[in-house]
Amino acid sequence: MTPTTTAPGTLDLVPSSEPDGPAPAARARGLRKTFGRVVAVDGVDLDLPSGAVVGMLGPNGSGKTTLIRMLLGLTRPTAGHVELLGRTGADLPAALPDVGALVEGPGFHPFLSGRDNLLRAAATEPRLDGDLRAPVDAALERVGLAGGASGATGGGDAARRRYRGYSLGMKQRLGLAAALLVPRRLVVLDEPTNGLDPAGTRDVRGVIAELHDAGTTVLLSSHLLAEVEAVCTHVAVLQRGSLLVSGELTALLDGGSGELVLTTDDPDAALGALRAAGAGPYLRDGGVVVPAGPLEPPEVVAALVAAGVGVWEVRRRRAHLEELFARLTEEDE
Amino acid sequence: MTTSTAAATRTTAPLGRLLGAELRWVLRRPRTLVVLGLLGLVPLAIAIGIATTGGPSAGRGPGLVAQVAGNGFVLPVVALGLSLALLLPLAVASAGADAIAGEAATGTLRGLLLAPVGRLRLVVMKSAGVVTVAVLAVLVVAVVGMVAGTVVVGGAQGTLVTLSGTTLGVGEALGRIGLVAVWTVGQLLAVGAVALAISTLTEHPLVVLACVLGGLIVFGVLSAIPSLDWLQPVLLTTGFSAGTDVLRDPMPLDGLGSSTVRALVYVVLGLAVTAWRMRRRDA
Repeated sequence: MTPTTTAPGTLDLVPSSEPDGPAPAARARGLRKTFGRVVAVDGVDLDLPSGAVVGMLGPNGSGKTTLIRMLLGLTRPTAGHVELLGRTGADLPAALPDVGALVEGPGFHPFLSGRDNLLRAAATEPRLDGDLRAPVDAALERVGLAGGASGATGGGDAARRRYRGYSLGMKQRLGLAAALLVPRRLVVLDEPTNGLDPAGTRDVRGVIAELHDAGTTVLLSSHLLAEVEAVCTHVAVLQRGSLLVSGELTALLDGGSGELVLTTDDPDAALGALRAAGAGPYLRDGGVVVPAGPLEPPEVVAALVAAGVGVWEVRRRRAHLEELFARLTEEDE
Repeated sequence: MTTSTAAATRTTAPLGRLLGAELRWVLRRPRTLVVLGLLGLVPLAIAIGIATTGGPSAGRGPGLVAQVAGNGFVLPVVALGLSLALLLPLAVASAGADAIAGEAATGTLRGLLLAPVGRLRLVVMKSAGVVTVAVLAVLVVAVVGMVAGTVVVGGAQGTLVTLSGTTLGVGEALGRIGLVAVWTVGQLLAVGAVALAISTLTEHPLVVLACVLGGLIVFGVLSAIPSLDWLQPVLLTTGFSAGTDVLRDPMPLDGLGSSTVRALVYVVLGLAVTAWRMRRRDA
């Protein structure tokens, strides 16, 4: 993934580690969408590297869903273009048989059972042939809606009950099952854990991990940071329709911060010693923080020891994604 | 999972499977079944009314409904004519409303486009659903009408006495009933095509129903204003009364013909708007 930013200088960007990898599963260039005078998405360049699990983060209304809808051809971009599995323009729908999607929540008919809803969806899937019941039952099994003791939700045969009576979590599971009816090359999940209980969230993570192991590219949009951090290899952060940053998760985490947090027996003396050594230390929550600067960690410790300050703990703080996210989204405020 | 080589490369599901899925969906929808059931009550109600009053009440001239008395095969024709005023268009408009606006409202239109069904194939699939409802609705009224006409009203050995006073044999009577049924389907397809077109413009099925029924009422009002006579040829409702022409002998064909041509124009325009909108519609 090519790291990009619309606010130069706000973040130290890390170059992609695999510039010559396989063609990206999806690519957006200069993507823009306006609804009347509202700019929903503006100037987004994004690559979904093949085989990656890309987490798309952003506060509500940041344009995540609009961006996904444009990637899938559900909404026409005002400007820019989209390439999906190598298909673009009028040819874009030709990529869709290999794309599974759960966008803007599950959509099913209330008067049909979950299974009948899936059978209807299966009938429209170009990749399925012959008996549609087998793939439908496999997908139901995979999301825990199949009958019998293995059903994780609602007990009994949830799939044979009318969709009308489903809980929010069961609806999400059914939507996920529809996206997984066929082995896919790209799976797009728009806030898939909305309304799921912790067990459901764990199941979704399991499914994403299986997809990743099978080499499927996954695009996961979420405002739950822990979710993205737990399952994603790449991350893209949207704010007000613009892509703030995108890149590999580990690179972004390392690149975002290099500060040391020290626990000492005499913080004031530590501050003095470190200032004398040329670092710019400050106190936070009783600990001494040394921002990334001229001193390497051994030099910091050496300076403290030389000044007679007892050092109990030295920790390099990896920027937690939540902090990164908070920092990125607050910078513009 | 069975996946043939064709399935591995094709970009849309086979049309036959799509049509099958659409028809199953239309026929399992409770609304469709309720509407079809209610339509069956129309000829029954007329038959019971005729049977209990026993013909035209004193002091009134014999109306069309009164023609049914003792002449059972007139019942399906009369029932179709009466239902065409509002009930049959309601049934077809509701199918058209559910077809696209309804799918958008439940969030299932996205799924169809993402499968992908193909936008023009979606129009074909949805049209097939609306045609099915139109045909079934007319069949219900005609068949229940024939059964009720024979059983409750009775007739002169299955013959039909025309408005002109002549008597038609069983074969020709059935032919006339078949003709009016086909003609009624044609008129309903015009309503259905317009409903589909409106359906592509909104996410609210009720808007489609309101537009179609409101439009029919407005057409009725316009055609009742003498100074707007010149509008008659473009109003769909103008030809709705032509169905009872089959009860005349010899049967005049100009009313049936011109109303069918008018319906055809509505079908073409409706489908053109539907296809044009579906090619661009966001889902």
